[in-house]
Amino acid sequence: MSTTKRRSRLELIYDILLSIQNKGGVIKPTHLMYKSNLSHKLLNSYLDELLGKELVIIEEIQHKKRQSPSKVIKLTDKGSGFLAEFRRMREFTDAFGL
Amino acid sequence: MYQLFFTPAWFNGFDLVFDIIGLVIALLIAAYSWRVYRISGENKFAYFSFAFLLLAGGLLFKSFTHSVLYFTPLRDSVTEVLKPALGSKLKFSDLYYRAAFFLQMALMLGGWLLIFFISQKSRQRLTKYYEVSQMALFLYLILLISIVANFNYFVFYLTSAVILGMTVLNYYKNYLNTSRNENAFRVMMSFIFILIGNLFFIFVFIFESFYVFGEVFMLIGFLLLLSAYSKAKKGKKNK
Repeated sequence: MSTTKRRSRLELIYDILLSIQNKGGVIKPTHLMYKSNLSHKLLNSYLDELLGKELVIIEEIQHKKRQSPSKVIKLTDKGSGFLAEFRRMREFTDAFGL
Repeated sequence: MYQLFFTPAWFNGFDLVFDIIGLVIALLIAAYSWRVYRISGENKFAYFSFAFLLLAGGLLFKSFTHSVLYFTPLRDSVTEVLKPALGSKLKFSDLYYRAAFFLQMALMLGGWLLIFFISQKSRQRLTKYYEVSQMALFLYLILLISIVANFNYFVFYLTSAVILGMTVLNYYKNYLNTSRNENAFRVMMSFIFILIGNLFFIFVFIFESFYVFGEVFMLIGFLLLLSAYSKAKKGKKNK
């Protein structure tokens, strides 16, 4: 029997934003998928929401070796602020057993 | 005039201040929990907010009825003014007190019960049909207890103590599950103090001064809740 705990929506968003922050605020989508341990489909649905709320932005980066530009996900200032708020919320939920 | 129980006269007024402090703390927690609900969209935060609103409502009714009871000159002058108009109907003022005490008890019990439900660590709590039906049954019992407690006040505090005892156990589990988180400890301790306060209230009929102890323990409990809330709001920097 698996002992892993199912993450709540709040925890998933926190994990996604934290993964980006831990990578210096910029991350490739595939790396984010592995870091946040989410399926491609689920990550995209959460990314759409985060993009809508302007917590992250998607930028295209041109590489010298490759012709086509690659996409990266960047954490915005609003996203960093949100992450700090999430930490406080987590402390609140831990304290009150929510 | 109808009174739930007699309290030491020298303490009249102090308990109002204590209850209002508790009321403000309950409102602060309710407001923050509502904010978390708005961000996360998870129902448990809305329920938690509602639970503390119920507690605040209960404390408001308690403060209101007690303040009318305490300020005798005001009450007497109002009675004198109303007497010619109302005559014998004034005796129905008991109904007002009973209604106010009923609301105080129903709201407080509802608040404690909801906190107990939320502190239960079962998955998808408060979403499944059987849990909602369970709550409906408990709500019925709360209303019943609130009516009965108007005639035997200790039924209210005894029921509160039982619910709070179970809540303390849940918060003890939460304290262990969160790797002995400092704030989880504060919350557990706050509910222990509130529980002790309620235990003192049960025995006010034996010794009036137990009311003072009960109020002091309740105040310490709410202040610990405030401390946990403010520490959580500051948040951890490295996490």
